[in-house]
Amino acid sequence: MQLPAPHVLCRIALLGAWVLLLGLFSACAPGDAPVDLPERVDYNFHIRPVLSNSCFVCHGPDSSTREAYLRLDLRKAATARREGGGRAIVPGSARRSKVIQRIKAEDADKRMPPAETTHRLSAREIALISRWIDQGAEYKPPWALIRPALPSGSPRSVDHFIDTQLDANGLASAPLANKESLARRASFVLTGLPPSPALLQVFIEDTTAAAYERLVDHLLDSPRFGERWARHWMDLVRYAESKGHEFDFTIEGAWRYRDYLIRAFNTDLPYDKLVTEHLAGDLLESPRFHPVEGYNESVIATSYLTLGEGKHSPVDTRLDEADRIDNIIDVTSKTFQGLTLACARCHDHKFDPIPTSDYYAFYGIFESTRFAYTPLLSSRQQAWLDSIQSAQRSLRSSVAAAWNQPLGGQEPYHRAAVRTGLHPDKVSVVPASHSMPSATQMGAVSRQDSTHRWRMIGDFRDGDYDGWFPHGPAFESTPQRSLLITKRGQIDSLAYGMVSSRHLSPGIPGALRSPTFTLDMDSIHVVAAGHGSVIRIIVDNFQLINPPIFNGIQAKVESAAPSTYRFGVKLWKGRKAYIELMVGSFKLQQHITDIHRILRSDSSYVEAVYAVAFDRTAPDLSKLPRAPDATAINVGQAVDAWAADQATVSQMAAINRAVHSGVLPRLDIGSLLDLIEGHRSQIGDVHYIMAVTEGNAIESPVFVRGNYQTLGDQPVPHRFLSAISDDAKPFSGLANERLEMARAIVDPSNPLTARVMVNRLWHHAFGRGIVQSTDNFGAQGSLPTHPQLLDYLALRFVEQGWSIKAILREMLLSNTFQRSTQPTPEAHIHDPQNLLLSHYPVRRLDAEAIRDAILAVSGRLDTTMYGEPVPTHLTEFMNGPGRPEESGPLDGGGRRTVYQEVRRNFLSPMMLAFDRPIPFSTFGTRNTTNVPAQSLTMLNDPFVAQQTKVWAQKIMIMHDLDIAGRIQYIYLTALSRSASPEDIADGLAFLEAETQRRKLDPAAALNDIKLWAAYCHVIFNLKEFLYLF
Amino acid sequence: MTRREMLSLCRNGFGSIALMGLMGTTPFGRVLRQLSSPPGPTPLLPRVPHQVPKARSVIFLYMDGGVSQVDSFDPKPRLAKEHGQDPHDKFKVDATQFDDVGTIMQSPWQFRHYGESGIEVSDLFPHVGACADDLAIIRSMVADFPEHTNANYFLHTGVGIQGRPSMGAWVTYGLGSENQNLPGYVVLDGGLIPSGGLDNFNSGFLPASYQASIFGTGDRPLANVEPLEDSSDIQRRKIALMKQADQRLLGRVGHVEEVESTIANYELAFRMQASVPELTDLTRETEATKRLYGMDSSDPHTRGYATQCLLARRLVERGVRFVELTCPRVETPRWDQHANLKEGHERNAHAVDQPIAGLLKDLKARGLFEETLVIWAGEFGRTPFAQGIDGRDHNPSAFSIWLAGAGIRGGTIYGATDEYGYRAVENITTIHDLHATMLHLLGIEHDRLTYRFSGRDIRLTDVKGNIIESVLD
Repeated sequence: MQLPAPHVLCRIALLGAWVLLLGLFSACAPGDAPVDLPERVDYNFHIRPVLSNSCFVCHGPDSSTREAYLRLDLRKAATARREGGGRAIVPGSARRSKVIQRIKAEDADKRMPPAETTHRLSAREIALISRWIDQGAEYKPPWALIRPALPSGSPRSVDHFIDTQLDANGLASAPLANKESLARRASFVLTGLPPSPALLQVFIEDTTAAAYERLVDHLLDSPRFGERWARHWMDLVRYAESKGHEFDFTIEGAWRYRDYLIRAFNTDLPYDKLVTEHLAGDLLESPRFHPVEGYNESVIATSYLTLGEGKHSPVDTRLDEADRIDNIIDVTSKTFQGLTLACARCHDHKFDPIPTSDYYAFYGIFESTRFAYTPLLSSRQQAWLDSIQSAQRSLRSSVAAAWNQPLGGQEPYHRAAVRTGLHPDKVSVVPASHSMPSATQMGAVSRQDSTHRWRMIGDFRDGDYDGWFPHGPAFESTPQRSLLITKRGQIDSLAYGMVSSRHLSPGIPGALRSPTFTLDMDSIHVVAAGHGSVIRIIVDNFQLINPPIFNGIQAKVESAAPSTYRFGVKLWKGRKAYIELMVGSFKLQQHITDIHRILRSDSSYVEAVYAVAFDRTAPDLSKLPRAPDATAINVGQAVDAWAADQATVSQMAAINRAVHSGVLPRLDIGSLLDLIEGHRSQIGDVHYIMAVTEGNAIESPVFVRGNYQTLGDQPVPHRFLSAISDDAKPFSGLANERLEMARAIVDPSNPLTARVMVNRLWHHAFGRGIVQSTDNFGAQGSLPTHPQLLDYLALRFVEQGWSIKAILREMLLSNTFQRSTQPTPEAHIHDPQNLLLSHYPVRRLDAEAIRDAILAVSGRLDTTMYGEPVPTHLTEFMNGPGRPEESGPLDGGGRRTVYQEVRRNFLSPMMLAFDRPIPFSTFGTRNTTNVPAQSLTMLNDPFVAQQTKVWAQKIMIMHDLDIAGRIQYIYLTALSRSASPEDIADGLAFLEAETQRRKLDPAAALNDIKLWAAYCHVIFNLKEFLYLF
Repeated sequence: MTRREMLSLCRNGFGSIALMGLMGTTPFGRVLRQLSSPPGPTPLLPRVPHQVPKARSVIFLYMDGGVSQVDSFDPKPRLAKEHGQDPHDKFKVDATQFDDVGTIMQSPWQFRHYGESGIEVSDLFPHVGACADDLAIIRSMVADFPEHTNANYFLHTGVGIQGRPSMGAWVTYGLGSENQNLPGYVVLDGGLIPSGGLDNFNSGFLPASYQASIFGTGDRPLANVEPLEDSSDIQRRKIALMKQADQRLLGRVGHVEEVESTIANYELAFRMQASVPELTDLTRETEATKRLYGMDSSDPHTRGYATQCLLARRLVERGVRFVELTCPRVETPRWDQHANLKEGHERNAHAVDQPIAGLLKDLKARGLFEETLVIWAGEFGRTPFAQGIDGRDHNPSAFSIWLAGAGIRGGTIYGATDEYGYRAVENITTIHDLHATMLHLLGIEHDRLTYRFSGRDIRLTDVKGNIIESVLD
């Protein structure tokens, strides 16, 4: 915040007063005389919240609900002369301001807010507004849109900002917590697990000043750190591994995104890079690669865009797309900017300066983004691919050399041209936009017969991609123009006049996708060949193609020779679409949840000659105008050109004739082909993820009232938020606009990005954000309790290269973090919610921490990292369509919760009971509830029961420990502290009573599993186990 | 709960805050409402509604898959006259889920007039038909979605996407429950969880306290209510040991409200272990009562649904706020007859008809009818023309539902469809209207029951919803 230095202290004191008022006010009834008004009333901290809550719905940014042509969110408008005379706000004079007159009106009909709303302004609120007007009615931009700044020279540390506010409010801070509590606290915050007894011991015994610092560094370096913080992040991006809706389809490779996050947090990937990879990991010129496997790491981040709910068989694909994109906008704007951009879908934002056009600028960007099955090739696989490539190159050059041999030293071998003219005048495809021309307007219609309308979507007969988008290694960025066809190892001919995925070899993954076009004819033909591959028509970016209505727009390619694949698209006329040729097909024979997973075999390939849209009859391409015949072809030159992959169609035809007529020998290349096949067989399984790739830039007009059937006049150019990028300049228009969006977010001048993220970190470290509404920094969000601290951390974050670990380290090393949970009596009275952090807040462990701690304590925890999720354990109460065939293990294989499967329609009851959010939107802050289901889980759930037995088994065999020693061990492991004499006495009494009740021989009791399980079960149910102090 | 605890709650706890939210006063201003962390010790404590309620509880009979209106509660003689003709010649046909539009198809069932009201009900529902004078039938329902999952979310949560609070969650959030030893919102799973899964019954962004508890049909009705221990004595001892340690903890760390709430919560959980088995123990019901519901039926699905209906009565009898019944898994599951309408609808109807009528009669006999709102509804209707030869496709443009019980004017027909039963044309009624009416009967003003999420005060009825006055007494 930019404030002149002398005001700083006053401001902080004032904010403190604001905070304290909570306590005071909760004691007095509504309508009591206002007390303790701030000396200087601040628009952002005192006035905007009142106006936003009570006035802006009718007198705010949204023009569609504006009443009386009055808006109070802009000073100019609020202070302008009204048509009926007077001014709503007269700066300097509350008395003369109509606003005050209306708020205070005796007459209920005149009083604002109107009687029919339930809002009433309190006496204090009215007094605040009056004083603010009297003091000049100074407006300010929303606090969160002012760039973070600190007065120069102010001491800089977390404690400084916290203590200043405590001092200003006359509150003392709590003493530091004891070492046991501190170790437990730091361990759960950083790793989500209790400290191991060994770690605890090292820390307790380390009496040097740096002991705690060493502990924090140790925990930051632990691989468990990434698992913990990845899970926090997964709450933001509504992480799930299935699509929900009717059949809960599995999302291909979703878990690899989870692994990406764990690696990113463990290696402390700078946050600006993390953001950039999320939005544009597929567009980076120099992506990062997986440290071991070597596949493209950056692209995996874009999976987050694809992890939303997915509709089974929508009748209206356009509406479905609008909902899908809305979810992406919602998640993206909340996660990275703490803004509720989705509120501007139907109208200008009612509280924040976000016009609807901002929403549709983003809409267009995501409408241009295609979900894509994306192969991840390891560096080993890439190396084999490279060797295939060079083997192919040497094959060609040896063939060329051999073919040129007999001609060596002789006159060049001339030959009249074969009649090769194969292709009509090419028709290029115009990208779809909302004003896309139809086929007729494009003039792409056969003139011979006007009833037979048709249009070329892709013409590959001269071997180029005709503007289609290659993706993956099967279709390199430059097309290969021919294939060598062999018979019994001997060259038979060149195949050309098509695009093919098997230039290197069959089985190479990849896809070729058309530009986006408007479906304006009834049918599409794709002439294609291949094996184990698919052709799909992707309508309105809809991917989950299924019966009953969508089966006509997906075909499995199974034909050695080019065949016609026909797609009926009548149902979707007027929609936008693109065609996708993809190596690999879908697992249709599998359990229904798996039918959208991709199945690629070593022999899968696809090739295509052309794709055409038509109404009634497909055009006969043989009757199309031909290219002019070539005159004479020099076969020697043709061979050279072919070896360099630059041969024209005529040259390749000439080579074929030469081979067939015996001029060129049918060389035996069997051994070279075997070599290539040998390389290919080394490639093995290819991993896929659902990520994104760029299509054509599509600009969307505003949907009036959010309805796509009533479009605004003009497409909105792709650009960033107008309130942040001052001039709202459109992006460059090149096809990498997600990258530009990412840059606008990580630009140091963006006032939100760093603040939002450090606030998230603070939230997890202290249980509550400096801005409590972690996902909403707008007018309806909470105000920061410590604005300068927030700015300090934000600036520090950027200064230190966006290092998450560095900021967390600073937070954890502060005294503020290390304080005990016990408030002073004054703090308890004056700041009961502990907003000023005089002591460390007590909080319940979150769902994952509870489950993981149980496993860690019982000894069952398997710290294996990464990999396919452990299938969900299904109880008899978890039913419905898409139920997996088999249940996963009760104990989840002992793996941490982050590795347990998240199926949208089969969410873990234990996780739900302990408030893990349902994955549909961004949840930076979880609810913390207190439901019987939680106690019942801890008391009676089979998982808890099982783990008490596992734990008891371990304790039973500790023969060198007596009962008291075992109780000590149990306390150290589960509660991170030694048992007090009372704890031990109680434990002994319980165990003894049980021994007697069950009439056990006291000696045998020591080895009785039931006895120890009963005791361990109690420990799991202690509040000290479930809460963090 | 002791009187002292109750008083302390009302003074400081969530109860009072939520109540003030409900009453529309915000004495603490906006700041406290946001900063207060809602869950107090017992979020399900009953709360005072906005106005005098007619209904104390709701029983929602969910008809999974979409019952055909023209074969149940909305007779259309014209379909018989034009049977076999092309619907495209008659009216504009919307896109359908299966895109397999056949010819106009008459209902395979006869309709009969029932009771003093003379309301026509088809032979699918002879038992319910006999209760026609108690029903307010709405023939002009429309849904926003032709797909099951979205329509289910819409019906249950007022929004067609995943993750929103279910109406049962909203109701318990608004009113709490009158029995602290049972969950406030119960789903009796008859065998079919609707498309969209358990999220139809979740609390969305509301605190988890308000999510449904799912009761199964198996031996263990509810997860985790059966004590692990072989004797309740040992569980008591364990809890005693736990309490000792918890008390010592409080001694060390001082007053921490959340921890104290959790301790109190264990008491509730402990009591639920006893109250759930008591609830599901039907041995004290008379044979006559069981027969009334059809528990002696030769159809196992009728017997199953009869048990669920009887449990529903026992739940509302004990003050549970919101009970939903899902459908039994008959041989042709759900009302979703894309083919073979006759057999499928008949099986589904046979399973639920007598139990529902039994429930209505039993509620009346026990004086519960006047304080219980019974809602019978599916997520959408079906087409008056065939899908293929003998099925009907989804139709969101018209369907029939009925209400009965508290505050409902029985023997009423409200709204109408066109001559084919294809589209609602008169008094078109939305799911939001249904929700507004339900909340109204519970004493809640639907536009004042809000929860702040994503920067907005969100309602079950979005920004819509009108009370359907004509069906009210």
